[in-house]
Amino acid sequence: MAAKLDIRELSAWYGRRQVLYDLRFSVPDRAVTAIIGPSGCGKSTFLRCANRLHEEVPGTRTEGAILLDGQPIAGLDPIALRCRVGMVFQRPAPFPNLSVFENVAAGLRLLGVRRRDELDQGVYEALVAAGLWEEVESALDAPGVSLSGGQQQRLCIARALAVHPEVLLMDEPCSALDPIATARIEALIAKLRSAYAVVIVTHNLAQALRVSDLTAFFYLGKLVEFGSTDQVFHHSQEKLTENYVTGRFG
Amino acid sequence: MEGSGDGEATRFRARIPRAVRRARWIGLGFRGGTTAALVAFLLLAVGFVLFLVRASLPEIRRTGIGFLFGPHWYVTAGVYGAGPAIVGTLLTSALALIFAVPVGLGAAILSAEVAPRWLRGALAYVVELGAMVPSVVYAFWALVVLVPYMKRVVEPFLLRTLGVGFGFAGLPLGQDVLTAGVILGVMATPTIAALSREALLAVPRERREAARALGATRWETARIAVLGPAGPGIAGSIVLALGRALGEAIAVVAVIGNTYQYPPSFLSPGTTLASWLVNGFSDAIGTQREALFELGLILFAISMAVNVGARLALRRSASGAEGPGPLRRWLGRRHRPGLPGVTAAAGSEAWWPGVIARRPRRILRRKVVAAVVVVLAVAALGIAVYPLVSLSRLAVENGASVALRPSFYTEPLPPPCLRNCSLGGISAPIQGTLLLVGLASLVAVPVGLCAGIYLSEYARGRLRTASGLVIDAFVGVPTILIGLFVFSAFLQYRPDLAQSAIAGGLALSILMLPIVARATEIALRTVPLTVRESALALGFPRHRVTTRVVLGGCRSALVTGTLLAVGRAAGETAALLFTVGWTPYGFSGWDQPVSAMAPFIFQAFWGDSTPNWVRDAWGATLVLLVLMVLISLAARLSLRSTNVALPE
Ligand SMILES: Nc1ncnc2c1ncn2[C@@H]1O[C@H](COP(=O)(O)OP(=O)(O)O)[C@@H](O)[C@H]1O
Ligand SMILES: [Mg+2]
Repeated sequence: MAAKLDIRELSAWYGRRQVLYDLRFSVPDRAVTAIIGPSGCGKSTFLRCANRLHEEVPGTRTEGAILLDGQPIAGLDPIALRCRVGMVFQRPAPFPNLSVFENVAAGLRLLGVRRRDELDQGVYEALVAAGLWEEVESALDAPGVSLSGGQQQRLCIARALAVHPEVLLMDEPCSALDPIATARIEALIAKLRSAYAVVIVTHNLAQALRVSDLTAFFYLGKLVEFGSTDQVFHHSQEKLTENYVTGRFG
Repeated sequence: MEGSGDGEATRFRARIPRAVRRARWIGLGFRGGTTAALVAFLLLAVGFVLFLVRASLPEIRRTGIGFLFGPHWYVTAGVYGAGPAIVGTLLTSALALIFAVPVGLGAAILSAEVAPRWLRGALAYVVELGAMVPSVVYAFWALVVLVPYMKRVVEPFLLRTLGVGFGFAGLPLGQDVLTAGVILGVMATPTIAALSREALLAVPRERREAARALGATRWETARIAVLGPAGPGIAGSIVLALGRALGEAIAVVAVIGNTYQYPPSFLSPGTTLASWLVNGFSDAIGTQREALFELGLILFAISMAVNVGARLALRRSASGAEGPGPLRRWLGRRHRPGLPGVTAAAGSEAWWPGVIARRPRRILRRKVVAAVVVVLAVAALGIAVYPLVSLSRLAVENGASVALRPSFYTEPLPPPCLRNCSLGGISAPIQGTLLLVGLASLVAVPVGLCAGIYLSEYARGRLRTASGLVIDAFVGVPTILIGLFVFSAFLQYRPDLAQSAIAGGLALSILMLPIVARATEIALRTVPLTVRESALALGFPRHRVTTRVVLGGCRSALVTGTLLAVGRAAGETAALLFTVGWTPYGFSGWDQPVSAMAPFIFQAFWGDSTPNWVRDAWGATLVLLVLMVLISLAARLSLRSTNVALPE
């Protein structure tokens, strides 16, 4: 598996407070990498470093590097980078005043796509890829926020997929959803792994076990263990990991 | 034998019924008191409207609907029509919006979205300060700075370039409809900027980040993720500013030229409803007075419609209503059958390379657009704060030397004179303002507070909506109408008090009352339901929950609301113009005329006055400005102290 993202000695700060310490690991292409760990250990911060949202927060700082296909992302334009590295947040956040169609088209419009047929095709493909097409086919003009929670989250996934990213970052995408909607998203992630490098942060250990190929365990801003999901969950090298995955703390 | 612990418990329980009974009585009293306050306010509002209607009835009977279109105001012939005043009002307000909407919105976007974070608060503060500057100060700034500038630079330029085709004809007079529109725009800008900024900031961070994560620039983020949801709030701020512009009297009367005609060009003198009232009311009698009352009634109807509309829009945005607004919903009803543009099956991938190829090409252009927006927003902010900077500078230059003299605050006004004048002071206006605002606060703060409490804690359903709207309508009522109402009401029942300290104090209290009531209601609503419920669950009686827990929880917001109301009253001119009378001397009894700061400034610049009074008026202006800065700082500090205490 080729490394899509290469994380090299990455450290990150909020003000004076360091929240990530010297992370080193590689995220492979066409696979799902799960990041687990107790809350506050820096999982979201790591994702936000990977598409340079972290630097938008005032007073923050990073050291080290993340390479995308061998290129340091610090050298890329943030706009171009974010087209290649899409992100889905914990709470579904469709643009509230836009319709379903326009929500998905938003990224394409930013890229200057104006022609009706191009927009239609792009929105169609993204909705199909997000597994939402059948459900919204007849409601494309309804407001994005009128969908159910699970549908809204898939709408956000479609919105991210519409600009055809290479990496998809998902920050606890199911933690605000009910079990059925969660199952749908998990099925979707299983499909997406054939085309994208997916990085998913999750609190739900069973979910990590179900959807991911690789797992990284973060603790207090440090990478404790990284390896195949099976290895991390069943043959962990570290006592800390074992305690966490067996639910002895967390 | 019972243990002593059981005895304690029994005794304690025995006390409960008595405590409950007592609490019930106090609760009833509390509820009765707050109800009475709201009822008093509603009665006042109804009385206000009825009075206006009754006073204008004779004129309505005489001219009927034709009054609205009548083009003349011939006092000697007794022929009156409202046409030019209505047209002038609408025209100047429209011009004001043309000026204030882009400038205010630009300033709001800059201070909420694009400026560096450490600068945002300061920018917002300076812009908001502009909203506190009394209109009399804007009025003379307009006379001293704006009118000459319009006359010498802007109007000749417009005549040369746009010319007759665009409605710019005649001579560059400086005192005309265009200048009135600009000064109204200057005054409306801070309102739009401050309220729009709040609407922008109310959009949650997640929305912005969602757009940023799609690769949107700051400007694109504002456009797709922020401006839309903030739309109703922004619209509300614009309509609210429109309401202010429609009713502004003092600044307009100074610059519009006061000519009763349909203005044939933007550069001709004209009039507005409010300014014609200032211009003509004090020496109008008989039928002219009735006709002026009808002008007031029209003004009230227009401003009421506008203010209620604005509040409805703002409430929609405050209640977090989501989804497309009514217009978009209506437009969106055309149904798109599927996606006709789809040509290839999903997953064919044939289409993606085109999108990917676009990325680098567009980035530079998008960044340039974002930069242009920043430049425009900085320019807007510059225009928004320039008047404030300019008038502060003038006030310091002309007023500092007077205002730094301690005797300025203790001496009475000097006798009018032209040469070798003795130095005096403004002790009389200061004393008058303190007394008037004191009396007004004494009435308005308790009543407003109670009305606000009733509205937020007890009123439900229709009553709540309706009284809320009445309060909203009166927050924005043109203050000149308050003066008109109080003066005429006294004239009818106690003519000896029509121009007295007591009338002025009551006028100011009518001005303050709705502001305090609204601030209270809003502040109370910010206290979360869970706090109330946990207090109720502890067995707190309802009124104790309100007085202890709820009021305690929002104390600083209440202080802020009251402070702002006091600030408004201290700088008010129009409501006092007819009600306090005029005297250069100090306070001599509540039934006597009294002088006050803002009316004094107005008098010194427009009335019969002499250079030494003008100089003292500059000093008084500086004092008023400093007072406003202090009040706004105090309001800020008191708000900040809660923000710290709020849990993250
Ligand atoms: N905007 C912020 N400012 C300051 N500290 C922050 C901010 N966001 C997160 N943190 C801190 O950084 C640490 C890591 O946060 P985060 O990456 O969100 O953890 P996780 O996603 O694993 O729960 C936490 O201790 C949190 O308090
Ligand atoms: Mg997190």
